[in-house]
Amino acid sequence: MDVVDLIATILMVIGLFFAFIGTLGILRMPDVFGRLQASTCISTMGTIFVVLSSIVYVVAHGMSGSVVVKLVFILLFVLGTNPVSNHALCKGAYRSAKPNPEPILDDYKEDDPQ
Amino acid sequence: MKGFKFSAWLSTAILCFLFWLLLTWSFAPRELILGVLVSAIVSAFASRFLIHSRAFYLYNPVRLVLLVFYCVIIFFWEVIKANVSMAALVLRPKLDYKPGILRIPADPELKSDYGLAMVSNCITLTPGTITMETAQDEEGRNYYYVHWIDVAETDRDKAGEAIKGTMERWIGRIWK
Repeated sequence: MDVVDLIATILMVIGLFFAFIGTLGILRMPDVFGRLQASTCISTMGTIFVVLSSIVYVVAHGMSGSVVVKLVFILLFVLGTNPVSNHALCKGAYRSAKPNPEPILDDYKEDDPQ
Repeated sequence: MKGFKFSAWLSTAILCFLFWLLLTWSFAPRELILGVLVSAIVSAFASRFLIHSRAFYLYNPVRLVLLVFYCVIIFFWEVIKANVSMAALVLRPKLDYKPGILRIPADPELKSDYGLAMVSNCITLTPGTITMETAQDEEGRNYYYVHWIDVAETDRDKAGEAIKGTMERWIGRIWK
């Protein structure tokens, strides 16, 4: 096992660790908002480091440049679509779900911008 | 077609064609011709959703370099910091945190819709904060309503500094 494989493995382990943190957060958090927040870990840090690890592997093993481009596109699309769905879920949950624990301050309810 | 602008169409078509080139990864003539056709047709329908004003604003090398620098260095660093604090919160034996929804004032320099959307998406992408809404008050100032998982600062301005970090300043340099 040479140095490049070692680097790729370390990056992959970091990514999987944060995906694990996100999953653990989804299981442990008591309400929708906490779960949404924890799940962001998976789609940011998890995806970024898994893709970085794959890029290192692909470059080191001399595969075509198109594979790198496709990996970068995977990253961009995940990072581009995740906030949209997260924001919509958070707003929907705000209207229907009961927060637990209660928020200590809620400017949204006071101002009611819609 | 309603709302069709030639500059918006051209800008979207160039972007689509760049995507086509990167995905097919080939310069064979039939691929190029098919790519031009497909991107022209697609952008005729899609341009009015993608571009509303200043169609060629981002085709400026300085702004492109700033955008790449922002994504690779600034945003990456903010994501790492937020992820580590989120990991510390999740791994704590007893979960006790104080969630809250705060009204964060936006940078008055940042007027464009694209800039506001990019800042709110970047806030959502850092674990621990989710933008729920952006709103404008009577004097034309913009606000983000941010759900924060662990409120460390109840003063709105200081909380804004803590949540946005250096991201908004850099996006302000790109979008104005």
